[in-house]
Amino acid sequence: MSDRALAYLKEVAVAKGEPAWLDKRRKAARASFADAGFPHRRIEAWRYTDLARLMDKTDWKPAQPETGAILPPEGRSNPFGGIESWKLIFVNGFFRADLSDLAALPEGLEITSLGQALAAGTKFESIFDATGPEAIGSLADLNAACARDGAVIRVKAGVKLEKPLELIHYTTKGDGCASHLRHIVELGQDASLSVLEAQIGWGGHYLADRFMHVNLQARSNLTHVRVEDEDTQALHLTTLLAEIEADANYKATTLALGGRAGRMQSAIRFKGEGGNAVSDTAYLLRADQHLDTTMVADHAVPACNSAAQAKGVLAGRATGVFQSKVVVAPGAQKSDARQMSNALLLSRDAAMNAKPELEIYADDVQCAHGSTIGELDGDALFYLRSRGIEEPIARQLLISAFLAEVLENVPEELGREPLRERAENWFETDAEKGGSA
Amino acid sequence: MTTPLLEIRDLHVTIKSEGKEILKGISLTIPEGEVHAIMGPNGSGKSTLSNVLAGREDYEITSGHILYKGKDLTELAIEERAAAGIFLAFQYPTEIPGVTTMTFLKTAVNAQRKARGEDELNAVEFLKLVRAKAKSLNVSEDMLKRPLNVGFSGGEKKRAETLQMSLFEPALAVLDETDSGLDIDALKVVAEGVNALRAPNRSMIVITHYQRLLDYIVPDHVHVLAQGRIIRSGGKELALELEETGYAGIVESAA
Repeated sequence: MSDRALAYLKEVAVAKGEPAWLDKRRKAARASFADAGFPHRRIEAWRYTDLARLMDKTDWKPAQPETGAILPPEGRSNPFGGIESWKLIFVNGFFRADLSDLAALPEGLEITSLGQALAAGTKFESIFDATGPEAIGSLADLNAACARDGAVIRVKAGVKLEKPLELIHYTTKGDGCASHLRHIVELGQDASLSVLEAQIGWGGHYLADRFMHVNLQARSNLTHVRVEDEDTQALHLTTLLAEIEADANYKATTLALGGRAGRMQSAIRFKGEGGNAVSDTAYLLRADQHLDTTMVADHAVPACNSAAQAKGVLAGRATGVFQSKVVVAPGAQKSDARQMSNALLLSRDAAMNAKPELEIYADDVQCAHGSTIGELDGDALFYLRSRGIEEPIARQLLISAFLAEVLENVPEELGREPLRERAENWFETDAEKGGSA
Repeated sequence: MTTPLLEIRDLHVTIKSEGKEILKGISLTIPEGEVHAIMGPNGSGKSTLSNVLAGREDYEITSGHILYKGKDLTELAIEERAAAGIFLAFQYPTEIPGVTTMTFLKTAVNAQRKARGEDELNAVEFLKLVRAKAKSLNVSEDMLKRPLNVGFSGGEKKRAETLQMSLFEPALAVLDETDSGLDIDALKVVAEGVNALRAPNRSMIVITHYQRLLDYIVPDHVHVLAQGRIIRSGGKELALELEETGYAGIVESAA
């Protein structure tokens, strides 16, 4: 039993007048979370990110709905702004129907706010049940105990949507405000959807927790583009659970540059043969920022492919973490799992921790993992400078080239250029914030 | 008397990491418009000299001077030297994955123009310029679209270096073992490109191990570098003499 966890639940997990089925689920989640407490470094999957310690010294309180206009500071606007799409906007952890654009949803696409649906008495038991593998830690329970809103997105079998769906989160309030959101994305057989997700905050010191449960039926396709650009004082937790049926595809590309400390964790579980999951992450960190990218791929059935790649640029005293665990179940032959971490350290005080984990119980599989941690190539830098390119520009060219391998995977119509620009903007404030070596 | 373009006086250079002295008192004067060849055996300090001129930071000048257009060259940063008209054609041009040749060329040309207070070229002007120069050097559109030097053949790399030289229009070009990695046909193409860039207001230092290159790029003067010192200087016929006697003969007779 953890006192810190109890105190947090007491302040933040306040839900009154909920229906009995939900109340029961909340109680179970609260009890389970209180037992485990916040994950800490003595738990192997959390050894580089001591969330318990990060949660300390703040009197957390629940975030409140914000009703005013949302005006992001310069350079922090929605990166997907120019793309024609449906829009779901959340502010401080609450759905904002007035800012969202869900006009003329086509047949076969259902979008509901979890908060509105619960208020209307919809029963969503399965949504609150998902827990995920051990590495996820107690965060699934924490989220089930605290989340009061989110998006429920369902695409019916055979419906292929060309127009993407934006899922935008703004956090405008700090002072120890905590928000928890729970999203569900379900694609029926042969359905396809693109989700453009952004997490943007400027409130100061807050906690933003987002849990997404993805369920892909046979042969469905989900493309997921994410930008994490939280306030540099904020804590952020992103948990993605994906269940992938036969021949379904999940393809995620993430650009992360915000937050004081964060963990972006994904757990992929293959449930039918021929499933594919690709998760690419590019991240840029400086000052005291900390980002933990943790992935688990559970090859429970044969002939599935998983690939996880993270490319990080670390300046100042920033620390990066890449953990990737692959489990190949007995009999899951022809599994193909690849994990790669490349980190570029721009300063002597930056640090990177990379840890692969492989548990393979089948003999006809291909599993590859690799990690590089290095500095900018001195020869390349000299070459560019000898051509008259000033050192800061030369460094930027080389860093952009390093990240390009990830960012080029974003389809042009889903924001490749805005993401590239977002990464380039990072350099403009580089020098001031102790980014240069 | 006019100021020579480059004047090196009693230059001593060590490798920073090892403290080992590589250049042990070099003096060399390059007047404007002349082509000087520096020949020497492996380990004589040829590449060190070219790297020091370009400003590579792995070396320390322990004594002596390098005057470029009458001013202390060592006060200029690497990129400032480029803008001031110094160009080093690398023996082994560095591969830069993820940066296309075209993007690199435009960034470099405009960086130099900006440093000199000239207007930057817009995309259309630049494209026109590059296409004209690339064509004469047999640099294909495909090469320009590929990441810089990545997967280029030996000949392609040297042609790309020569293309850069023609775009930057340097006052002093240092060609470091331009012949290495080239077969005779590729060498001819590169040499033609270099010869086309000979001009009264452009000097060149051609560094090579073999006399062969100097059949195609005929120098005004030849210097022999051995064990960190220039031990002989002469006209272009000195290269032929070297070819006959080998370095051993010359190094011994100088000792």
